[in-house]
Amino acid sequence: MNKILRFLVMLPKGLWRALGADVDQLNAILTVKLKMDDRKPLSFGRQQRSQKPSKYTSTISFIFTLAIGLVYMLPFIIFDNVVLASTMFLTMMMVFLTFGLIIDFSNVLVDTRDKLIIFPKPVNDRTIFLSRLLHIGIYFFRIVLPMSLASWIAVGFTHGWKAVLWFPVPLLLMSFFCLFFVMGCYLLLLRLSSPQRFKETISYFQVAFSILIFGSYFLPRAIQSSAVMGMTINTVPWFKYFPSYWIATCWSWVDGKAELMPHTQWLSFLALVLPFLLLWFTVRFLAPQFIARLSGIDSIDVPKANTKKVKTAGGGKFYIRLANLLNRSDEARAGFMITWLQSNRSRTFRMRVYPMFAFVPIYFVYLLTMNKETSFAETWEHLPQTKTYLLLLYMTGTVIMNAINYITMSEQYKAAWPYYSSPVTVPGNILAGSFKAIWLKYFFPFIAVIGVFVMYVWGLHTIIDVLLAMANVTLYVVCVMRVGHRSLPFSMPEQIKNSGGKVIVRMFFVFILMGILGFGHWIASMFWWLEILFLVLTLIFTWLVWDGYNNTDWKGIKAAEDAY
Amino acid sequence: MQPIITITNLFKSYGEKQVLNNINLTAYPGQIIGYIGPNGAGKSTTVKILTGIIQDYTGEVVVAGMNLRDHLLEIKSKIGYVPELAEIYDLLTPREYLRFIGTLYHMSPELIEERTTRMLDSFQLLENIDQRMDSFSKGMRQKVLLASGLLHNPSIVILDEPLSGLDANAVILVKQLLQRLKQEGKTIFYCSHMMDVVEKVSDLIVLIDKGAIVANGTIEQLRGDSGQSLEQIFSKLTSGEDLGLRADNIAAAMNNNNQ
Repeated sequence: MNKILRFLVMLPKGLWRALGADVDQLNAILTVKLKMDDRKPLSFGRQQRSQKPSKYTSTISFIFTLAIGLVYMLPFIIFDNVVLASTMFLTMMMVFLTFGLIIDFSNVLVDTRDKLIIFPKPVNDRTIFLSRLLHIGIYFFRIVLPMSLASWIAVGFTHGWKAVLWFPVPLLLMSFFCLFFVMGCYLLLLRLSSPQRFKETISYFQVAFSILIFGSYFLPRAIQSSAVMGMTINTVPWFKYFPSYWIATCWSWVDGKAELMPHTQWLSFLALVLPFLLLWFTVRFLAPQFIARLSGIDSIDVPKANTKKVKTAGGGKFYIRLANLLNRSDEARAGFMITWLQSNRSRTFRMRVYPMFAFVPIYFVYLLTMNKETSFAETWEHLPQTKTYLLLLYMTGTVIMNAINYITMSEQYKAAWPYYSSPVTVPGNILAGSFKAIWLKYFFPFIAVIGVFVMYVWGLHTIIDVLLAMANVTLYVVCVMRVGHRSLPFSMPEQIKNSGGKVIVRMFFVFILMGILGFGHWIASMFWWLEILFLVLTLIFTWLVWDGYNNTDWKGIKAAEDAY
Repeated sequence: MQPIITITNLFKSYGEKQVLNNINLTAYPGQIIGYIGPNGAGKSTTVKILTGIIQDYTGEVVVAGMNLRDHLLEIKSKIGYVPELAEIYDLLTPREYLRFIGTLYHMSPELIEERTTRMLDSFQLLENIDQRMDSFSKGMRQKVLLASGLLHNPSIVILDEPLSGLDANAVILVKQLLQRLKQEGKTIFYCSHMMDVVEKVSDLIVLIDKGAIVANGTIEQLRGDSGQSLEQIFSKLTSGEDLGLRADNIAAAMNNNNQ
């Protein structure tokens, strides 16, 4: 698949050459990068590669991407006007893909591993930049294709064979637009911030930007959803400000029945020119100095040493006191401390986990207002009469699930060697310490804040629900870890080919299983004594499962690494 | 003879930290320059500027008569660089990696293949040519890196700790290789902490400390009448303290605990 896509992206050689790239070098870099993506890195302690790489995850990812595509197909079924349907479809796709680009693939753009390998070679800035852009582009198309498949078929049924042939054109324009827009933003950011602080800046930008995209997608949709069914192209004049509408107007070239807003035909030419304009602008004006700025990223920026801060004993620090208080073995203490310290310093971790804190309330508001005829104010007023707080409480599980998953990954995964070289007999203790740190640092404060909100809105009596939800989410996460998630903190490489789909799959299962627990809670919430019983049972189960997790041996760790 | 590298008034800072402070240096074809200094002295920064990795510096760097700022790609084509930290795409095999590097220098596939085979054979890595490098030892990776730095037949070779991880035989091989390259008129910029090797192989030794050159000359010039080894000269110029006393303190620290 990658080979075909590489062949396709290398077809417009003239264009890449005109943009200032060296085509042979571009091809060589892309070939090598894709080859490396396809290979599974060796992690510590796993000396032999498994001969058969698992296709399981990629197949599931593919099916889920197809399933998401089914939702995106709906506009083509609901609306007769292909421009309106296409605008809706492209808007949804653009949000999803921009979000994916920011979260999953921007690491490729600012990867500094090439610094000593490619940068000293006679390769110009534009070639390096384009190689990264196309590298990301290839993975991007791998998501775009299955996701748009259902819509493609739907268009065939509703608008005929000509539409089937035309369908890829707006799709391509949309893909290029997203790709060049996001990459342009990054390059601009790279130019504006100091290289030493760039990695910091970018991770906060990613968090903020992804929240913005997520929020702008769900919140207005929730508020407007009641109006969707009766919508025509003229009831939504503000659509003309969306690039997705500009691209959708291209349908008027092939479909005589495609209805546009008055005086907007010219936007189709803008849609055609814009991606190339963005590409030209980013490669011509922003890519030069790209290497120079990237080279500065990992430069030493040593702050002046403050000798006063040096303490002879480390017992005074909060996290050390916590580590000593909550862990009995030294291994667990070590796991606790490394996780506590590394988690908020690791860019990967911050980028993947921090946005979740915002997604939970945003998604909650979206679910509250979805498919309702009532206004948001009315919904808010009647909120205390509902039991929707259970939904909110259980959604906090996404934060801890993401944190648990990404705590095992690191760019510097090879630095995990001390676990293997030190005399650790029960590595489960390290895992347990690490879990406690995550639970205490990220999950507890979050559910506490949500809990306070719940008690404020629904009354103090919901405290038992807050406690039960906290226990249930913990039990659920411990079960998931006991079954499969047993890698040591920051010991696994993150591979680009696993990005995208995996997150969707994981989120789906988290929601389903969490939903089952939440349903049980809902039943129990009819009688207070049942809730207490449920809580006690959950705590007992948690303790039992925890014991197994805490005693994970080296075989269990190895099995987890092999399954990775 | 025209100098191949001329560095004039080179300054580089990261924020408030001055990393290079007025470096001036001239190197001629066929010379081995031993570039030494303590950790954080500015050696790697100089090398990164010379190889075009760092481009925001002040001062002038002229290589083979061309200004580095104006002819970055031409100069890069003339340089072979072996980085210090064994940075390599270790998911590739040596053959794949060297083919990739050769392509970046626009070498023909046949030439890459021929040189790859011959070089790896000489480094006794031919039987590993199609094995992924993530299972390689540090020394094996270092050999591949050396091959990648020399593959395109550069006229300037910049080596940053090239003997790192190599076994005794490979060290002898590389030392002899340096002499051979020198005879061919190549300039070798040799950064290392291994003083005995630098002392033996270098025509010119440049000692850098806190971003400035503190000594520059042949080993005989640096030694003067003192008869000291390069290690002793290095220690005298870069460390104001008694290292023996510091060693005693470290040893004493280990004895002062509960275990």
